[in-house]
Amino acid sequence: MTTPSAREDRRPLLVRIDRVAAGAWIVLAILVGVYWVHQILRGEEYARQAENNRLRSVPVTAPRGFILDRNGTVLAENEPAFTLLLYRKETKDLDRSIRFVADLLERPFDELKRRAERDRSSYDFVPVVLEDNLTMGEVSAIEAHALEHPELAVQTTERRVYGNGTVAAHLLGHLGEASPEQLVTRAGRSRPGEAIGQKGVEAAYQDLLAGVSGSRTYIIDSFGREVGESGRIDPFPGNTLWLTIDLPLQKIAEEYFEDKVGSAVALDPKTGEILALVSAPAFDPNLFTKRLSRPEWEAIVTDDDFPLNNRVLQNVYSPGSVWKPFMARAILANGIRPDERVFCSGGATFYGRFFRCHGRHGSVDLVTAIQVSCDTYFYTMGKRLGIDAIAETGNEFGFGRPTGVDLVSEKSGVLPSPEWSLKARKHPWYAGETISVSIGQGPVLVTALQLARAFAGIANKDGALPTPHLFHIGENIRTRERFVYRPPAKESVSWPPGARDLVVEGLWRVVNVPGGTATSVRVPGLDLCGKTGTVQVVAQKEAKKGHLLPEALRDHGWFASFAPRDDPKIVVVVFVEHGLHGSTAAAPLAAKLAAAWVGRTAGKPASVTADAGRAAGTR
Amino acid sequence: MSRLSEVLPRKLDLRFVGIALALTLIGIAMVHSTTSGTARGDLGGKQALFALLALVVAAALIAVEYRLLLEYSPALYSLTLVVLAALPLFGSRIAGARSWIRFGGFQVQPSELARIPIALLLAYLLERDDRKLLRTRTLLILCAAVFLPMLLVLLQPDTGVALTYIPFLLAALFFGGMRAKWWATLIVIGALAVGGSWFLLKDYQKDRIRTFLDPNLAVRGAGYQVRQARIAIGSGGIFGKGWKQGTQSRLGFLPVRHTDFVFAALAEEWGFAGVAAVLGLYGALLARAFKLAHDARDRGGAMLVLLLATNIAGEAVWNIAMNVGLLPTTGITLPLVSYGGSSLISTWAMIGLMLSVAYRRFVNV
Repeated sequence: MTTPSAREDRRPLLVRIDRVAAGAWIVLAILVGVYWVHQILRGEEYARQAENNRLRSVPVTAPRGFILDRNGTVLAENEPAFTLLLYRKETKDLDRSIRFVADLLERPFDELKRRAERDRSSYDFVPVVLEDNLTMGEVSAIEAHALEHPELAVQTTERRVYGNGTVAAHLLGHLGEASPEQLVTRAGRSRPGEAIGQKGVEAAYQDLLAGVSGSRTYIIDSFGREVGESGRIDPFPGNTLWLTIDLPLQKIAEEYFEDKVGSAVALDPKTGEILALVSAPAFDPNLFTKRLSRPEWEAIVTDDDFPLNNRVLQNVYSPGSVWKPFMARAILANGIRPDERVFCSGGATFYGRFFRCHGRHGSVDLVTAIQVSCDTYFYTMGKRLGIDAIAETGNEFGFGRPTGVDLVSEKSGVLPSPEWSLKARKHPWYAGETISVSIGQGPVLVTALQLARAFAGIANKDGALPTPHLFHIGENIRTRERFVYRPPAKESVSWPPGARDLVVEGLWRVVNVPGGTATSVRVPGLDLCGKTGTVQVVAQKEAKKGHLLPEALRDHGWFASFAPRDDPKIVVVVFVEHGLHGSTAAAPLAAKLAAAWVGRTAGKPASVTADAGRAAGTR
Repeated sequence: MSRLSEVLPRKLDLRFVGIALALTLIGIAMVHSTTSGTARGDLGGKQALFALLALVVAAALIAVEYRLLLEYSPALYSLTLVVLAALPLFGSRIAGARSWIRFGGFQVQPSELARIPIALLLAYLLERDDRKLLRTRTLLILCAAVFLPMLLVLLQPDTGVALTYIPFLLAALFFGGMRAKWWATLIVIGALAVGGSWFLLKDYQKDRIRTFLDPNLAVRGAGYQVRQARIAIGSGGIFGKGWKQGTQSRLGFLPVRHTDFVFAALAEEWGFAGVAAVLGLYGALLARAFKLAHDARDRGGAMLVLLLATNIAGEAVWNIAMNVGLLPTTGITLPLVSYGGSSLISTWAMIGLMLSVAYRRFVNV
């Protein structure tokens, strides 16, 4: 073993050690400084980033409010449903996962694929809704393959159920996934994939029914897997919505339309509360609760009878003879005496053209003209009044503009005038058109709802024109606080003294005095007042053949009415497409509805009853 | 033996042992914290077992006369070269590098252990040239002694470990004494080598350097590690989130959190207080080693302590700077703290050698 040299000069080495030591302290100080900057000066910023890393917030949809009729009967509620979720992050082969589901549940592959790729932009860990409303069998089939397909999960959710099927479908509307356009207009109030009201009161009162979404905050790991929950905000359930609809009345009307196409609306003339609203054919709103496949959707939208259309307010028709009571008001408001007579020999010639009447009524005054629906009388008076006076009265009754009903997509119809002609048709008004308009033909177009509202203007002694509405009461189900419908500014028809009584007399005689056009539906003691109407689909000559024509070419039938005469409680308007004549096709339903409602409300005001309040409380 | 309780504290540097032991215990705690409750399973117990083994190795090396090891260092070194050269032929491939030998259930990384014979040889060479400044011949031999094993390790390829040999050379040249003109030459050659090696780097290595220069380059890509490590460190704040409470490390956002990025996990859970404490411990370890070198019986012992201590300190500095994104991400672990048997045992072997030098500082032993 060599001995170390004791003579070695160690001083240079010791100096070098000191230098390195000094350098080491500097390096140490730099490191401390850098960690100081990150941990203390910028600590909060990094802490926030760390939270963003580990926390993900997912919205929780609030239970949607129930929809009840005026008596508290449930029209729309929620029930537990099973939703199939796909966690895209968990799947190695998306197509394989979708193929598995498509085969297992017998669903079209493309449809599922479209759903899976719908909102790619969202977090991977947020599951995609692949299918709603699985059956118990489908749930157990999925669960049986849980090990092979960890990316699939079944979630218990709520689904909308319309317990009465097609009943009241149009006024209730349905739910559907928010469209891209709706997401823009409802910015901040709807999320992609969220089901929102698409028609009817579901759409009109979406915000009221939807409640306030809550959220759940999950702790996730770097693979996006949920490892815990760090917080939740409970959703606030939607309000209960009581409608003005009376389900028994609604059902009577729907039964009547089982084999017919058309519409009916019944309302309380004093308040505008819609008691029944039917559009036939109807659809089953439950169909929309599940995600419709394309073929299902096509079947509904390509149906020739347009089941999705709410004919009460979205279809416009010529009013035909139901226009005559309004003509009567125009006649009386323009100083023409009601006892002035016109001789009807089956028609008359105006502006060189013969206008036909459906009968030979002889000498008729105003009341008789309404009773027998004499065209010649109204042609003659219409010519004397001129189109401006007719339009003025039409405007009084609210024609040519929406009624303001609380439903979406209401049509305005057409209240023709020379100004309208120039603006809409780009040609001047033809004098001959005034003669047609006098009996509700020509360019004038109305909705059934407009007619019902206008008839309320006749039924009400003060000429009040209520705003038709379906909203009755909203109820916050936590606080039990209730809020009622607030009618907008009051509108009314101005009646010259005595004029309304004459028109009502005419309408009463239509039903109650021999010679009237609807005496076949007379109910003793009901005092139904109404007016029939027929809308020609083909030229009058052809129409005469009536039943011989194919159905598509037959006339449409109107009946507009109210009852009872002295204290009107209900206005009913019925329209039957290709029903030939109002008296036979439409009037029977009006009589039934009026009789049922008047019979039930005799002696008590038409408003929410004590029973209804209890029903809500026990739900 | 009766005097052992008196002699041992004086002869065995207990302060040095204490510092190293403290860092090792912190390491076990952090390995447990970062691995418990994960799919891979708790490695804290395994690390504790490695620590016991490491202490045995250290104790054995204290018992060995270090002069004997210095004398036989050329032979040990040659043997090491043979093993490293043969490794590509029979080594086990882990993470793409043939740098492991299997012993039963354990894998040993010879390149980690090779640091000891290299340090011994360098100390041996430096002892034999005890002039104020090193002879040119010694300089070249020193360079060759480091570059040869480095080249073999680079071929495995394990760049991270290969880089840990460079501090040996720098320390040897600095403590041995070298003219300024040679330092200038070395810096130029080094710069050229770094520049030239850019073309030899693999794409992932280039990416690491790019993302080191700009960590926001790719959130999910190569910059992800650096970014997440910074978030872990920064979000620790002053006192940290608490042991086993680090969200970044326990939820898996922090990469290789029990090895390369264990310090970031520590910074997250123990905050700036923990960072300062650990940095302080490394500082104390180095300072104490300098004292041991100062007191060493001979030049060879002093050089050996300096080489080993600066190597451990250099590795620690690089790793800690890398964790916070101050230096590029390489596979350099934090000595005594990061998980890994080879690293822990070789580091404790180095500590054992230093203690052996200290133990024999009195000539009359």
